[in-house]
Amino acid sequence: VAKELARGFEDTWTGEDVTIAQIERELARLRDESSKDGAQPNLRTSVMTHIAWVPPEWQSRAEETLAGMAERHPSRTLLLVPRPDEADGLDGLVSLRCFPIGDRAICGEVIELTLRGNRASAPASIVLPLLISDLPVFCRWRGEPVWDSAELDQLIGIVDRLIVDSTEWEDLPGSYAQLVELFGSVVVSDIAWERTERWRSLLASLWPGIAEVEQISVKGTRAQAYLLAGWLRSRLGHDLDVEVEEHDQLEGIALDGKPAEFPPGNPPNASDVLSAQLDRFARDPVYEAAVRATAGV
Amino acid sequence: VPDENPLEAGLRLRRRPDPCILIIFGASGDLTSKKLIPALYSLALRGLLPEKFGIVGAARTEETHAQFRARMKQAVKDHARDPFEEEVWKKLAHGMRYVTLDFADDKGEDDLRDTLTELDEEVGIGGNRVYYFAVPPSAIGTLVEEIAERRNADGWIRLIIEKPFGHDLASAEELNTEIKEHFAENEVFRIDHYLGKETVQNMLALRFANGIFEPIWNRQFIDHVQITVAESIGIEGRAGYYEQAGAIRDIFQNHLLQLVAITAMEPPIDFTADSVRNEKVKVLKSIHTPGPKHIVRGQYGAGFVEGEEVRAYREEEGVAAGSMTETFVAAKLFVDNWRWADTPFYVRMGKRLARRETTIAIQFKRAPHPPFEDGAAEGLRPNVLLIHVQPNEGVSLAIGAKVPGQGMTIRTVHMDFLYGGAFREGLPDAYERLILDAMLGDATLFTRSDEIVEQWALVDAIVATWQRDRPSFPNYAAGTWGPAASDELLHRDGRSWRRN
Repeated sequence: VAKELARGFEDTWTGEDVTIAQIERELARLRDESSKDGAQPNLRTSVMTHIAWVPPEWQSRAEETLAGMAERHPSRTLLLVPRPDEADGLDGLVSLRCFPIGDRAICGEVIELTLRGNRASAPASIVLPLLISDLPVFCRWRGEPVWDSAELDQLIGIVDRLIVDSTEWEDLPGSYAQLVELFGSVVVSDIAWERTERWRSLLASLWPGIAEVEQISVKGTRAQAYLLAGWLRSRLGHDLDVEVEEHDQLEGIALDGKPAEFPPGNPPNASDVLSAQLDRFARDPVYEAAVRATAGV
Repeated sequence: VPDENPLEAGLRLRRRPDPCILIIFGASGDLTSKKLIPALYSLALRGLLPEKFGIVGAARTEETHAQFRARMKQAVKDHARDPFEEEVWKKLAHGMRYVTLDFADDKGEDDLRDTLTELDEEVGIGGNRVYYFAVPPSAIGTLVEEIAERRNADGWIRLIIEKPFGHDLASAEELNTEIKEHFAENEVFRIDHYLGKETVQNMLALRFANGIFEPIWNRQFIDHVQITVAESIGIEGRAGYYEQAGAIRDIFQNHLLQLVAITAMEPPIDFTADSVRNEKVKVLKSIHTPGPKHIVRGQYGAGFVEGEEVRAYREEEGVAAGSMTETFVAAKLFVDNWRWADTPFYVRMGKRLARRETTIAIQFKRAPHPPFEDGAAEGLRPNVLLIHVQPNEGVSLAIGAKVPGQGMTIRTVHMDFLYGGAFREGLPDAYERLILDAMLGDATLFTRSDEIVEQWALVDAIVATWQRDRPSFPNYAAGTWGPAASDELLHRDGRSWRRN
């Protein structure tokens, strides 16, 4: 047992055309079996239910992020993969992921559900029975949401926080206007915004020297460039131009042509960034103002 | 341009202090290399130090700037909780200097002043200073005076003072007076690193953020409280200090009384430094001096710790062969106020005990009338709320539960919250939190002068009774839970120490 605990362990069950009751039963069985005879039972510690809406093209990346995050946020994760073009049905992959802590293990649960056919348009009815009572519910929406879809509407109705990454969106800055529409219904956070945190701290340290800045040049994603420009517009109270040199991560910022120093430390990885979002509960008025300023609404 | 920086709104790193220089007196000691510099590195890694920041080490040992930096670099590699990153280190080391200084030496103090002025100009710090006194109490008065003499009008000054703060009430009061001649109370940060521990702060969260605990946190529902601060290590070569201090001054006067105060205090009106400390002082003032029957002292003999044979205290290097220094103290304390009247707080602390453990156990009264058959609840223990301060940081609640099957058998089970389980991020070291708080001027987790006075008054009263008797030392074997008299202290009341 000790050897297994030292590296953590995982146990899984898969089924096709499953029911929610079957999934709950299998999960209980995995939990039961994970504790060895005579040893202390493993701890099922949960801090939230984490839903991930993952269209098939995002699946592998989502699983990668999840692998790095599960240890940090013991939770029940519901990975929903919509396949509306396939025959009606629900397929499930249930896994118990345990990590060592002292002489015991902390176990998190991942339930991967493929929502086939009409099931893809009724995610709330599938998710609701699987939520952990009384704990917050976060939904990470991979890719750009289909803004007027029933799925988005339903999930927004049951979650405490919607997490997007506007770097994954094609239509920028136009889509920010759609995002603004959600602010009244659900707390929204944006991983693209989170990734600018170190740089925003750095720029804040340049105050008041940058109070009158007129132009920001960003070497990074378009989302980061627009959000940083929106942030400066909303905080400084005046308009400014934005110039983007596209890059897959934030590599540099210049204000009125003058490059800013690099912030200390290394940029956080995808799991860390998502993890940081899962620690937050309240609306972020600074982010919302930045999005509004970016969208011009 | 508005005065307030609008760009700081919403940033998680808002708690970044003003530019400053941290001066460490006693920079050649273990505390600096094992705790302070690694803590500063971890703060730097997380971007929590000011952009403009310097560190000046000062000690008697002759060392160049480069030698000091090299030694501290190795210290970070050996002792920091984070992996070493060259870039972070370079930035930290850029503002790092060393001054050889004899504490009563004007020239050394002038050298220090010149170094600080140069660093100020080079990095653009503006005169803010944090002085960290990792030196014996006897050196503090002189240093404080020297600092005050060389104080200029630019910037703020904060003094962080390590324990021990004096060695008895008179010396602590004298030190307080010396400091107060030159500095205001809000410039003085007396450190007790226990208060920087997440789990100690969590005690405040547990009590005052949860509606279910506070209504039963009193003499009506709580039978007694047990606090254990146990170390499995010996004196680790610190005979010079420990022979003078003993367990009562090393642990009881500071860490243990802080744990009692946090457990027993009334809810503060807010979480500001003075509100929290006002409530702690009230508890300290309410602690009744334990009589000789309510206090046990011990000294370890030879024994086995974790399977390894260890020598007796009196055989440790530097310890007198007939030493009467106590390495263990157990006491029955009463907090004489409305909430806790007649509710004992049993405390024990010591070295070379069975294992390293700091816990606060709140033992509730038994259910008044369990309606089960005789024998059904045999072996059922009372409900205990157990706060694990270290290790395995977390909280457990012992409750009775039915054993599955026919009939009704009840046994005690634990509901566990483990910090490492719910929050998988590494807990920051206490020194990270405390150094940052001092730089920010937040004294909530530091000990105020009147707290120190109350702590020493209690210790002096206890020690005074010790002058009259001469216990037979050693009276417990290393690797056990202390002398038999410690168990008897509870047995007399029909209670026992919880099984660790």
